[in-house]
Amino acid sequence: MYWKYTLFVLMSFVIVAGLSFPIVSSPSVWYEFPLIPGLEEKAKIIFFHVPTAWLSVISFLMAMVYGIKYLSKKNLDDDAKSNAALQLGMIFTILATVTGSIWAKFTWGAFWHWDPRETSIFILLLIYGSLFALRSAIENEDKRARLSAVYSIFAFLTVPFFIFIMPRIMPGLHPGSANDTNSGPVVDFQMNANMMLVFYLSLTAFTILYFWMWNIGYKTIIIKDKLSKKLI
Amino acid sequence: MESFLEQNSIYIVLFIVLTVWTGIFVYLLNLDKSLKKIEEELGDSLNEK
Repeated sequence: MYWKYTLFVLMSFVIVAGLSFPIVSSPSVWYEFPLIPGLEEKAKIIFFHVPTAWLSVISFLMAMVYGIKYLSKKNLDDDAKSNAALQLGMIFTILATVTGSIWAKFTWGAFWHWDPRETSIFILLLIYGSLFALRSAIENEDKRARLSAVYSIFAFLTVPFFIFIMPRIMPGLHPGSANDTNSGPVVDFQMNANMMLVFYLSLTAFTILYFWMWNIGYKTIIIKDKLSKKLI
Repeated sequence: MESFLEQNSIYIVLFIVLTVWTGIFVYLLNLDKSLKKIEEELGDSLNEK
């Protein structure tokens, strides 16, 4: 139970710190963030945009883990867990895309550029979007669960490549691209201890929030399934 | 509007926080909808007994 209150305090701190701690060129007090050339005040997006992308990776990972679990135990509850993780993954991928393109409008000049990072997340959206089409096209629930589990395993194989590798080895506009001299990799070199702290606290808070949302989500799906079969 | 946002880019960060909150809110709305359906079905079956 305490973790929910911890989440509340953590998230409140991240929102307050992320929005209000000042960015200065040479930080001297603990709460000041360093100025990253090219990003300035907009660097604060890292506390809210990066966690959404991080959660999409976690969700797709959980979808795969419970897909494998379903294939080995054939328990439909595992399929419900995998399905709930897929829904959340889709939401957070869309959020990462939308928040990123709002930022891009003011940093690069337009909402969409087909930068490697944008292209890879677009392909991920297509890959996981078609999984929902697949799920809704199959009536038989065992068959649906089996196909969805296999698809989520194969789909996850592409995730590390599209999220962590491809945008880093190709030149592009996004911070952390291969030709980025100003701000990348932001996480490793340009952040000071305070920015690092708020960033990791933000990742922690969003991860706890994710597991809470996922928990409520799959419980609802499981109850709905059982109710439709009149088991309760 | 655009030049204002460019000079005060903290508001862009604020928009981004609001977008994330909107996404979480939409998820909660959908969850609420399916829970309501469950409640209705449960109510029917309880009345039958």
